[in-house]
Amino acid sequence: MSNSPLIQTLDLEKTYITEAVETPALRGVDLELHRSEFTAVAGPSGSGKSTLLHLLGGLDRPTSGEIFLEGVALSGLSKDQLARLRMTNIGFVFQAYNLIPVLTVLENTAFVLELQGIVRAERIKRARKILAELGIEQYADQYPNRISGGEQQRVAVARAVVAEPAIVLADEPTANLDTATSHELIELMRRLNEEKGATFFFATHDSRLLDRVSRLLTLEDGRITQDQCR
Amino acid sequence: MKAAIRHLKRNRGRTILTLLAVLIPVYFLVFMFGFSNSIVSDMFETATRVDTGHFQIRHIERRGMGSAIPLMHDSESVLAALDEIDGVEWRTVRLDMPALASVADRSQTIYIQGVVPEEIAPISSIGDLVVEGTYLRNGQNGAVIGEELADLLNVGVGDEIALLGAHPETGLGVLKVPIVGIYRAPILAMGRTVIHATLTTARQLARSPDAATAVIVRVDDVKGPWDVGKIEAVTAQLTGSLPDGLEVLDWRELAPQVTGYMSILRPAMIIFAVIFFGLGALVVLNTLYLSVMERTRELGLIISLGASRWRVIRMILTEAGLIAVIGAIYGALIGVALIWIVEAFGGIPLPGAALADYMKVVGMKPVLHMIISWPQMVISAAAMAGVAIMAAWFPAYRASKLEPVEAMRYVE
Repeated sequence: MSNSPLIQTLDLEKTYITEAVETPALRGVDLELHRSEFTAVAGPSGSGKSTLLHLLGGLDRPTSGEIFLEGVALSGLSKDQLARLRMTNIGFVFQAYNLIPVLTVLENTAFVLELQGIVRAERIKRARKILAELGIEQYADQYPNRISGGEQQRVAVARAVVAEPAIVLADEPTANLDTATSHELIELMRRLNEEKGATFFFATHDSRLLDRVSRLLTLEDGRITQDQCR
Repeated sequence: MKAAIRHLKRNRGRTILTLLAVLIPVYFLVFMFGFSNSIVSDMFETATRVDTGHFQIRHIERRGMGSAIPLMHDSESVLAALDEIDGVEWRTVRLDMPALASVADRSQTIYIQGVVPEEIAPISSIGDLVVEGTYLRNGQNGAVIGEELADLLNVGVGDEIALLGAHPETGLGVLKVPIVGIYRAPILAMGRTVIHATLTTARQLARSPDAATAVIVRVDDVKGPWDVGKIEAVTAQLTGSLPDGLEVLDWRELAPQVTGYMSILRPAMIIFAVIFFGLGALVVLNTLYLSVMERTRELGLIISLGASRWRVIRMILTEAGLIAVIGAIYGALIGVALIWIVEAFGGIPLPGAALADYMKVVGMKPVLHMIISWPQMVISAAAMAGVAIMAAWFPAYRASKLEPVEAMRYVE
């Protein structure tokens, strides 16, 4: 495995402009993330955590600076190329679960595989396998609104890792969960990281999650002020 | 596809509304076509039955003849040629000419139709309209005149009238014929001017034993103007087998007023279609756009996960396509069912006694029978489905242009 960073940002800046008011969210972020890391970025509300996550995931474009994913500069990619990159390289877990309501748990899990054009039998097999590994196989045929919040977030994790992306970006994944459920989910992601080498990058201020990461970045006023390895 | 069906089920009210927006224009158009077909068919039948037949063979007119039709002298060759080809249901020879009818001190310009009495029934209802005396018999020397002419000349059955033949191609022929019957005409002008005499009598008046003005032909299995191909198939067989100097004139040339009406009806139906398709398309566009707006966050998620713009467009168009196809099929079926129901109750009676009476005297039933045209049904359904899918393009395009982060914040 090469030592080159999985993700690298150079002087990343993002300014939101609304009605002639400029709000800087990131003010020059230089960052390197490596494979199999279990990293979180922490910071107060409005510090730019979610913005950083969205930029790293190709969901939004920076005002200036550059992001490289496996050496590829994201600024040079078209909208559809970015979509393709997200589909093949990035898994997302959002705060509000964000499952597709008309798809079953199994179909939600296999959705990214379907986007990738993998044949039905193969994607069902892989989705069932990951659901089993995460202990939620019994909900495979349920719709998201029939299972609890914690179970929905597990499905979101299953969907994020099923295609074995380069990195899973998780935005406040435990914010809506109670302590026990949150703990279970954190351990589950930690296990995926340790056993399968899955790379996770969290934006969170949940201390339960921050306690379990191996690298902690602190973001304040759009700048990384601390970078601790544990 | 499965997801599209589930999306449609998720908001049943909106789905039903969109379905109706497709379904109603289709069934309305199918029904309207059934109605307009029936009007066109009746006009066609009236014209071709009462007067013209499906086509006529006449002498080519080389100079102005006024109200007279040029004479031909080879009708027997034409009949022989017709006997050799397929698809001819019926044919007869007729000699029409302007004339003067006179009795003592009264006279009236008239139009004599010299007919073969036993053959003329399929294109003339005068035989059925006789109210006094009888209709003509083959070889009989006599005339059947209208009530109005009888009143004008003050004559009745059994009286004789003098006929003065005035065809431009003949000298004046004079003949005295007995009145064998009086008919009640549907139109005053017809009763005053049209008289029937046997072909033999008319030829005597034209002073020519083989004169005729037309061989009139009806073609097998022609139900309306849409069967024009069957008529053309028969006339095509005549090419080259007709004596020189003769030409074939089909009903469109012989009854231009009917084609005139039809040329008005067709654009009227197209205008109807455009209005209804337009309204349907607006409802489809509106409901799908609302659906896209409501699902902004979900679409943002799908885009976040890596769906391409085309994938998103396809997703919305699949939903629209399902609604469009189902709505169009049901619309067409309902239209056909309504037509069948109307027909099961005997059709649509014509309004007003005068119109109903007129239809009766020209040998038609005083009801409109709705006619389903399968090609029209398929085209109406397919066109509406196509329009609905096109209307869905805008919401689909808007969905594909969503920015994932903004879209996912939309309802947050």
